[in-house]
Amino acid sequence: MIKISHLAKKFAVENPKKLSEQERQDPRLSGKYFHSVQDVSLTCQKGEVLGLLGPNGAGKTTTLRMLSTALKPDSGDIEIDGVSVVKKPLVARKAIGFLSGATGLYGRLTGRENIAYFGQLHGMTTQAINEKIDQLSEVLDLHTFLDRKCDNYSTGMKQKTAIARSVIHDPSLVVLDEPTTGLDIMAAQTVLDFINSLKEKGVPVIFSTHHLGEVGELCDRVTVINHGRSVFNDTVETFKNLAPGSLHQAFLNSLAGK
Amino acid sequence: MWKVFLKELKEVVRDKKTMFFMILLPLLLFPVIIGGVAYFSSKAAKDAQSETLKYAIVNPQSAPELTTAIRESEGFEAIQMPEDADIREWVKTDQVDFVLKVPGNFSTDPLQVNQNQLQLYYNGAGFNAIKSRLNTLIEPIADRVQREAFARLNVTEEQQAALIAPIALEEVNVADARENIGEIVGGMVAYVVFILCLQGGMIPAADLGAGEKERGTLETLLISPIDRNKIVLGKFLTIAVAGVTTALITVISMAIWGVLVGQGLAIEAINKFLGAIDLMDLALIFFMLIPVVAIFSALLLSLSIYAKTFKEAQGYMGPLVMFVIVPVILATLPGIELEGVWAWVPLTNVALAMKELIKGTMDYYQLIGIFGSTAIIAGLLLGFCVHWFNKEKVLFR
Repeated sequence: MIKISHLAKKFAVENPKKLSEQERQDPRLSGKYFHSVQDVSLTCQKGEVLGLLGPNGAGKTTTLRMLSTALKPDSGDIEIDGVSVVKKPLVARKAIGFLSGATGLYGRLTGRENIAYFGQLHGMTTQAINEKIDQLSEVLDLHTFLDRKCDNYSTGMKQKTAIARSVIHDPSLVVLDEPTTGLDIMAAQTVLDFINSLKEKGVPVIFSTHHLGEVGELCDRVTVINHGRSVFNDTVETFKNLAPGSLHQAFLNSLAGK
Repeated sequence: MWKVFLKELKEVVRDKKTMFFMILLPLLLFPVIIGGVAYFSSKAAKDAQSETLKYAIVNPQSAPELTTAIRESEGFEAIQMPEDADIREWVKTDQVDFVLKVPGNFSTDPLQVNQNQLQLYYNGAGFNAIKSRLNTLIEPIADRVQREAFARLNVTEEQQAALIAPIALEEVNVADARENIGEIVGGMVAYVVFILCLQGGMIPAADLGAGEKERGTLETLLISPIDRNKIVLGKFLTIAVAGVTTALITVISMAIWGVLVGQGLAIEAINKFLGAIDLMDLALIFFMLIPVVAIFSALLLSLSIYAKTFKEAQGYMGPLVMFVIVPVILATLPGIELEGVWAWVPLTNVALAMKELIKGTMDYYQLIGIFGSTAIIAGLLLGFCVHWFNKEKVLFR
């Protein structure tokens, strides 16, 4: 079970004059700090898929980065199966598989080397890595290009390889930051199928997205973040009931706090 | 740490652009530069010796012997000078290569006219060998005239020598060939090696820090369960190895071509010089290089991880070259020795120590101090680099 409670994170603003008009009007800007995330809470049970929604710049990526231990929260706590991520980041790093739409690969290495490198960083043995790669290439259909250099991959091939890389160590939680943004329909479908397969295995998934269709199709729970605060945090049924028949309207209603 | 190092190294080796700058360029560039300079300068000297010089003589009738000698020697072409011409202006217009003005009272009897003052007008802008070529024609005549005059005065040959130079200074240089050439080459070697270490580490460094940010692989790397300082050390070592490899290949290339040129042209000094440097000194030079490379690598990695893009990283690294060049150039200046303040100026002291090692005049105890102080600086910079790698402000700029 993942439990995020009252998470907050602020960034120092180097030069307030350089900020854009929109950023200056943001209520989260106070003095020399920009309070990117102010109060975010959410829970996700085992086997559940949680969709994180919110406008651009709402604090979704910052929240997920704190969850993945890349950033350290100023206050609040994150617990994975009762272990505090903030206090024991190493435990969380072993438990989490992380992937974002912007995640790249090392272009001069082959797909297999890319995946194996992260297996090694997770302390896996060569044998375990090889077995896992064989297994993943079966599921994701990587055979045809696995031993070619990533520079020559298509977007879909890259995304499949990145997925394999993120789950090489059998994570107990998978975090995806806008995994389908910028992908074509085929590549996006690969990601959605992957989320579904994790769901079937009972691995919890937290992912941020702008595509409400994905939420309706996959998610068990929905959390909406606006201006760094979680304004909605409940099941997908409750979310749909905010405006029956239209997910878009439901989303807008949740932002308006209705 | 070794996992990170090996993977980074694999990437560097597979990058054709980096390999080109690291290996092929120093391997081929230096022979081309050295050979090219040698070829063109020797060609220019040869041309100056063999080109046909157009000339005119004022008052040729006063010195018939000299006039004949010039006219009859090869590569001289007499031109008639207009009566009313101003010599300076005429030479300036490039009508002739030189005009020789013989005084009206020119005489081959030094006892009668004292010294004969001949004036040579020529355009000195550019490379030429006019004076030396004329001297080879004038000297035999002057020698003969001198001998005849001494003979008439009944001066013995010993007295002649004493009269020409009553007090002679004979130089006895106790510096051996190694110290002599080492003074010149030593500063150069440090300069070339330092710059190459920096240059060789630059492209991999930009790729290892900013490149990871740009490709979007950094975040994944940071959240993998490996200590931050191991990531830093792995990357740091890769940059250091790249820098050292570049420098080594260059130095070896320079040495091989130096030996080839030395043997081929049978230049005694070069062969003696290279033969005098023993392996121990070479090992010490390499040893001194280690903390320097560590300083460069830590600086490069810090700059690179701060930058958002590959391009930005290269922008920061450019000025770094300037900062490194200054202390190294100081060491090549004559008069700056490894003593006093200079022994404590970072980088300059290492460059000076390398020079001393090549000259074979190193005080080995001093080496410990220099190595120690440089190593401390390198350690501090590496510590800063690790600290830098733990700052969210730097990583997620």
